Amino acid sequence: MNGRLEYWVKIPIGPIHPALEEPEKFIITLDGERIINVDVKLGYNLRGLEWIAMRRNYIQILYLAERICGICSFSHNHTYSRAVEEMAGIEVPERAEYIRVIVGELERIHSHLLNLGVVGHAIGYDTILHLSWLARERVMDILEAIGGNRVNYSINTIGGVRRDLEEKHVRAILDMIEYYRNEVMPKIEEIFLYDPTVEARLRDAGVIPKRIAIEYSAQGPTARGSGVKKDVRYNEKLSVYPDLGVKPITPKEFTGVVKGDVFDRMVVRVGELWQSMELIERAIDQMPEGKIKAVPKDNALLFQLKKAEGEGIGRYEAPRGELIHYVMAQKGKDVPAKWKMREPTFPNLFAIARALVGEQVADVPVAIASIDPCLSCTDRVAVVDANTGRKKVLTERDLLRLSIEKTRELNPNVRAKPEVVGVGCPRGGVL
Amino acid sequence: MNVLYATLGFLGIYAYVSFASLLWGGIDRKLVARMQRRMGPPLFQPFYDFLKLVSKESIIPRDANRFFELAPVLALATSITLLAYTPLGFEPLFGTKGDVILFIYLLTLIGFLRVLGAVSSGSPYAQIGAQREMIILVSREGPMMLALFTILWRLTELGVTKPFSMGTFYEHNVWELGTPLSLIGTLILLFVFMVWLASEIEVGYFDIPEAETELAEGTMAEYSGRHLALFELANAIKAFVSASLVVAIFFPWGISSYLGLSGATAVVVDLLFHTLKVFAVLFVSMSVFRAVTGRLRINQAVSLFWTRMLPAAIVGALLLAIDTLGVMA
Repeated sequence: MNGRLEYWVKIPIGPIHPALEEPEKFIITLDGERIINVDVKLGYNLRGLEWIAMRRNYIQILYLAERICGICSFSHNHTYSRAVEEMAGIEVPERAEYIRVIVGELERIHSHLLNLGVVGHAIGYDTILHLSWLARERVMDILEAIGGNRVNYSINTIGGVRRDLEEKHVRAILDMIEYYRNEVMPKIEEIFLYDPTVEARLRDAGVIPKRIAIEYSAQGPTARGSGVKKDVRYNEKLSVYPDLGVKPITPKEFTGVVKGDVFDRMVVRVGELWQSMELIERAIDQMPEGKIKAVPKDNALLFQLKKAEGEGIGRYEAPRGELIHYVMAQKGKDVPAKWKMREPTFPNLFAIARALVGEQVADVPVAIASIDPCLSCTDRVAVVDANTGRKKVLTERDLLRLSIEKTRELNPNVRAKPEVVGVGCPRGGVL
Repeated sequence: MNVLYATLGFLGIYAYVSFASLLWGGIDRKLVARMQRRMGPPLFQPFYDFLKLVSKESIIPRDANRFFELAPVLALATSITLLAYTPLGFEPLFGTKGDVILFIYLLTLIGFLRVLGAVSSGSPYAQIGAQREMIILVSREGPMMLALFTILWRLTELGVTKPFSMGTFYEHNVWELGTPLSLIGTLILLFVFMVWLASEIEVGYFDIPEAETELAEGTMAEYSGRHLALFELANAIKAFVSASLVVAIFFPWGISSYLGLSGATAVVVDLLFHTLKVFAVLFVSMSVFRAVTGRLRINQAVSLFWTRMLPAAIVGALLLAIDTLGVMA
C-alpha cells in the first residue's frame, strides 16, 4: 500500500444511474479524473428465461426468444429458428430467406439509429438523440406495416416466415430508403464524420486495440471498429447473404485510419446503415416467388420436431454482433432439452471495461454506450452482503430454495412437496 | 424615507428578477425543444418545478455536514445581494465606485458555495463535480476579468463620475470609442464574454460539473426538496445577472429617452427592455449553444480557456490599449 491510496475514489456507475438505463454496475476506481480500475458487476435482472423455456414447446419459445431483448427481437427469434432448423433438418424456402434478410436489415437500421442517438446523449449532445430517434420512427413504421408491431414483430417461424411481403410493403420500403438516402444520411454523416464537437469527444475515447479485440473476442461493430474483419453474414456464408454481396465494414474505408475508439465504432455503424439499405434493395430485386414456410401447419411442424434428435446451433450477425443460439432436442417431446444463447454484449462488455483503464471518467458513459450494450440479455445473478461485502453466486438450487421459502412465508397453506432439483437451468455456476 | 425606498425597490427587483429568470428557464426549454423537433414542457414549467420542490421534504445524507444545508441558503442570499449591484436598465441600486470587483466576487461566490455544498454532501459524484467546478471556475475568470477591466479602464479615460463601477456603462459605452481598432477589439471581447457566459451558466460545452450522464448531476447530486429549490432559484438568478453584465457592457442603450418618458414609467420601460435584451443574449449563449453542441471533457474545456479565450482576451485588450496611442485614428 502506498500513500496515494487515500486519493483514490471509487464511484459506482449503475445499477441506478442516468447514463445506464439498464441494471448493471461498473465500479470505477479513480485517481482524480483518471480511471485506474474498472470492475463489472452483472446480475441485477435475472429473468430465468432459459428455465421458462423448458416448459414450452418449440413454437412457444419463438415468442419467448423475441422478448429477450426489445431492440434485436428479430435477431433472437431468427437465430433460434436457425438452430431448430439445423437440428431438425428443415429446409427454408428461398423467398422466406429473402424476407428474413429484409426484415433483419430493417432491424439493423433501427438499432443503429437508436445507438447513434444514445451516443449523442452520452456526450450531452441531445439534439443528435432527438433527431436520430425522429428518423428512426420511419423504419419502425415500416416494421409495423410488415409485422404488425413496432417492436416485437414476430415475423419468424421455424422453417420460414409467417407473413409474406406484399407489393405495397415493397413500395413503402423503397420510399423509406429514398428518404434515408436523401434526408437522413447526409445529416448523420455530417454529424458523425465531420462535426468538431463529436470528433473531440469520440476520438481517442474507449480505445480497444486490435489485439485486445481479438483476445477478448469482441463482436460486431466493436470488433470491426478495431479493424477485425468479423461478420457472421460474410464469414459463415449465412443464408442468401453471399448472393447479396455483404462485406465486413471497417472504418478504414471511410476515414483511412483504424484506431479502435468510439469514433471508429460510430463510423462502422454509419457505414452499416448504407450497407443495410443496399442489401435491402438488392434483396427486393432478387427475391423469387414461392412459398414462405417449409411446413405450413404448426401442428405438423411440432410433430416433425417431436421426432427430431440431436442438437443445432444457430448463428446470426445481430446489430450488436454475433449471436449464437444452441438447442438440444429430446426425442419424443416437443420441448427442448436445452436452450442456450450467447449474447454479443457479454464479450464486448469486458473488452470495453479493459479499454477504459487509463482513460477519463468523462469517457465512461460514451464508451459503454458505444458497444450498444444489451444488458438484459446478458444478466446473471449474485448476492452481496451489504455489511460484510461478501459475495455469493446463486445457483438454480438456491433460487428454488429462496422461492419456496418466500412462498411458504406468504402462504403457509401450500403443502406440495417441492422438487429441490429443478429442471432446465445449467447447474453449479453462473454461466 | 430613503432607506425605506431602497429596501422596497430592492425587494421589488428581487421579486421581478426571480420571476423573469424562472420565466426564461421555461422559454429556453421550449425553444430548445422546438429546435430538436419536440413539443417541450409548458412555459411555466420552472415555476411548477420550483413550487413542487419547495413543498417536498429534503433528504440529507448521513455523512453530510452542516454546510450541506447552509450552502443553498447562502447561495440564494449571495445572488440576492448581487442584485443590488446589477445594472438592470438603470444604474444599480447601491452602485458606488469600484463595485465591479464586488460584483465579480459575489458571482464567483455562488460557484464556490455550490462546491462547498457538494463537498459537504460526502457523495463521490458530488466530489468529482466539485473538482470540475473548481477547475473550470479558475479557468474562466481569467479571460473575463482581463476583458472587463480593459473595457472599464478604457471608459475611465473618457471621464466618468464613478470609475470602475457598474454605473460607468450608463455614462459611456464601449462602442462610442468608434475607431476601427477599438471596434475589432470590442468584437473580440464580446466573443470572449459570450463564451464566459455559456460557461458561467454551464450549458453546451461547459455542462461539465453537472454532467448528467457522467456524474448524475455532479455537484447537485445529493440535493433534493427545499435545498435544491433554493439552488435552482440561485442559479436562475445568476444566469440573469451574468447576462445583465454582458448587456450592460455591450448593449447598454435604453429606449425610455427615445420615447420621451421619465420617472417611474421610464424605469419600468427600461427594465422591461433590459429583460428583453437579456433574453436575446441568453438565447444566443444558452439556447442555441445548448442545441448545437455537446459536452467537452474537462481537460478540453480548460485548454479552450487557457489557449483560446485568454489569448483572445489579451489580443482584444491590446487592441484597445494601442487605440489610446492614436496610431490608426
